[in-house]
Amino acid sequence: MKNTFKVILLGVGALVLLVFPLVAPNRYTVHIVNMAGIWILMSLGLNLAMGYCGQINLALGAFWGVGAYTAALLNTRFGSPIWINMPLGMILAGITGALIALPMLKVRSHYLALVTIGLAETINIIMVNEIWLTEGPLGISAIEMPELFGIPIDGAERFFYLVLICVVIGYLVARQIVNHRIGRAFIAIRDDETAARAMGVNVARYQVLANALAGVYCGVAGVLYAHMSTYISPDIFEFKNALFVLTMTMVGGMGSLAGSLVGGLALPLTQEWLRAIKSWQLVGFGLAIMIVVLFMPGGVVGLTQKIEQAGGIRLPWARKQTEGKPVAEEKLEMEGPNVA
Amino acid sequence: MSLEIENLVMRFGGVVAVNDVSLNVKPGMIRGLIGPNGSGKTTIFNVVSGYYKPTSGKVSFDGKVISGLPAHQITALGFARTFQNMRLFKTMTVLDNVLVAMGHHCKTNLWQAMLNPVAVQREDKMLTEKALHLLSLFQIADYARERATSLPYGHQRRVEMARALATDPKIVLFDEPAAGLNEKETEWLSETLLKIRDSGITIFLVEHDMKLVMGICDAVSVLDYGKKIAEGDTKTVSTDPVVIEAYLGKEEDL
Repeated sequence: MKNTFKVILLGVGALVLLVFPLVAPNRYTVHIVNMAGIWILMSLGLNLAMGYCGQINLALGAFWGVGAYTAALLNTRFGSPIWINMPLGMILAGITGALIALPMLKVRSHYLALVTIGLAETINIIMVNEIWLTEGPLGISAIEMPELFGIPIDGAERFFYLVLICVVIGYLVARQIVNHRIGRAFIAIRDDETAARAMGVNVARYQVLANALAGVYCGVAGVLYAHMSTYISPDIFEFKNALFVLTMTMVGGMGSLAGSLVGGLALPLTQEWLRAIKSWQLVGFGLAIMIVVLFMPGGVVGLTQKIEQAGGIRLPWARKQTEGKPVAEEKLEMEGPNVA
Repeated sequence: MSLEIENLVMRFGGVVAVNDVSLNVKPGMIRGLIGPNGSGKTTIFNVVSGYYKPTSGKVSFDGKVISGLPAHQITALGFARTFQNMRLFKTMTVLDNVLVAMGHHCKTNLWQAMLNPVAVQREDKMLTEKALHLLSLFQIADYARERATSLPYGHQRRVEMARALATDPKIVLFDEPAAGLNEKETEWLSETLLKIRDSGITIFLVEHDMKLVMGICDAVSVLDYGKKIAEGDTKTVSTDPVVIEAYLGKEEDL
């Protein structure tokens, strides 16, 4: 009974997604949803690193930029297509993630946050100043829209399906990872690094892996973004984007992949509706983070689970107890390396 | 397969927590390590399990020097430990707590995790069976799907012991396993420790419960202010005047 409901829910969801570009009121709406897909990918990456492995990472904007610049430069200079740019962008952004993880092994909590901001700024400054490579603040324009199997992906409507495929694959891969030993090791590190060590978990290796994965996810987002918008410049990849991804992930639910889907869709759309009050958006994010931390530490997904527990009911889309669960504020107060 | 600690010194700034301690734990025995609070017992555990690098001296296992190796490598060599304050993975279920410790059984890697769900599922099933069997030995299999930290305290202790054994250790370091347990639970604990030893696993035990220590240890070492002040079987140690003085103080002439 519950399973049939799930299947129906999934079927309806899939159908809505498949026909969405055809029934959307206008091209701009589709574009906004495409953008949401790109945010979702980044949010999934952040969730793996921060929600599961407990590593605060505010360098996402930079990883995203590495992916985007890889695609933009390869395409405008060598005319290379998206299916070559994609793996290269993923690898380069993944390497950036892994490299950023190295100093991260030495510091924790607020210091860690600061280190990642600093590294992200450094990468942004390189984008601005190394004009021979990046064209500087003017940015790179005339990136080609992609073409796959002879079909030109030339409008937001067609691009939607490309983004959708990436998000679906990204989500499924992330789900495989968190349900695997690797995911258990991530959560173990988040919960108690000292105990994780004693259980034979190579903490440093998993922390590097988590951040490399965050890099790869942002790399995919970056390559998609470059080919979608056809123009990129350094200011797009500034720190504020990392904050945006952080907000959407926290609102959706840290430590829950569904949280990334919820937050990654909800926040960009809300932002769009609130365009009129643009200058207040940052205030809004700050408030959203505060409200989430204070009143719903598990985000929207955590809240639905709380309702479930309180009412003794099971919402049809509820996950099994054994799967990764959103964590409360625990995650945010990471301990120092005290061994007692 | 014996654990040898030779001339171990551990200094934190000006504090000498462990001062030139040598002791060994022979295979198949329960070696107790006792001493007043702050005498350096847990520090020795932390050195042996790889959390601290000793200031000087060395720890070797099976003839191989292990002091200075990172903790996860020491675990891989056959060490497991429990913690004074338990340190269960607080957001995980009882089962997942045990599964984390079985990482060395996992043969599938990142690529298989992403591309071969069938192999991962098969492996998961195998590991889950193993973990449930282990939990049933500790009579907590019924709680497998519950959040570990929601269990009563005594059961959490059991989870922690099951988790330590899940790493397939040759030697287990128990750090005050009886702390917070009532008399009945302590009785269960002492039986369990003996069973673990009889299954061929060596035990190195830090404990304040003297009844437990004297009841099950094959040999006991006594620490005071970081120095080893006595060693021997339980009878010798419990009647040693130096030990009694360390615990109760010396009678002063007034």
